[in-house]
Amino acid sequence: MRIEKCYFCSKSVYPGHGSAFVRNDAKVFRFCTSKCHKNFKMKRNPRKVRWTKAFRKAAGKEMTIDSTIEFEKRRNVPVRYDRELVQTTVKAMKRIAEIKQRREHAFWKNRMAASREKLRAHRKKTVEKTTVRLVEPMAVESMEERVREKIKVHAKSRSALIPGEGRSMGMDID
Amino acid sequence: MGRLRRSRAHHARRDVHRAARTRVRGRDLDQIQLIDLDPKNRAALEAQPLDYERPGLGQHYCVECAKYYETDAALQSHWKSKVHKRRCKALKEPAYTIEDAERAAGLGKEGKRPASTLISAEPMPIDENVVT
Repeated sequence: MRIEKCYFCSKSVYPGHGSAFVRNDAKVFRFCTSKCHKNFKMKRNPRKVRWTKAFRKAAGKEMTIDSTIEFEKRRNVPVRYDRELVQTTVKAMKRIAEIKQRREHAFWKNRMAASREKLRAHRKKTVEKTTVRLVEPMAVESMEERVREKIKVHAKSRSALIPGEGRSMGMDID
Repeated sequence: MGRLRRSRAHHARRDVHRAARTRVRGRDLDQIQLIDLDPKNRAALEAQPLDYERPGLGQHYCVECAKYYETDAALQSHWKSKVHKRRCKALKEPAYTIEDAERAAGLGKEGKRPASTLISAEPMPIDENVVT
């Protein structure tokens, strides 16, 4: 059993899940969901799609160089079952995950510290730009002074559709 | 290219589903970049034998766009086009492969030594010595 990685978003693809596409040069592309498959069919570059792991790594949003990442590997040589080995490996996995989580949090905090200042500057700028200055309203003129404009209606503008005036198609009745 | 630009200015791509079928799937960017653009392969692709199944008998092929043209004039005008230039720009960036996807997921390759010196702390080799 092997847990594959999605070609597009780099998520884990567990057995019985997702789909695979085999290109005519025998390269196997695995997909976790139809969403990833569709994006692949659209020939999108995962490095330019913001929700993928590849984008996040390429854009410096996640750790790329770290010793905790280097434990997980594609191993093509099977290891003979050994109770002790499994025990220690499981223990190590838990410990590494713990360390990794802590390091990721530290990385995130560091990243946010830099971006917070940027955000603050941006907010300040937008506030300056969009503030509405309140002006003392002028005394409202009384309603009597305002003269309503009369709407002129031409008396002679009669529709041709209305019967009468000798223009209609109807028969004349004596 | 004025006409094309006017007609397709707002992603008026029709029949996306037909274009995405497997049988009309062209060569991918990584195939072109890593295989086709190699000078040896490129020469072979540009000087193909007469093929009655291909457009223009397979004589006018654009390697970057993986496309056959009917005439030499059509190929020449394609080389001047925006589509071709955009493709050339895309090919300059490193191609995205399955290995890249795995690396992004944190899945390394065995046999390749990691950059850090933490390999001595890896539990597997130590424990084998302890047990035996």
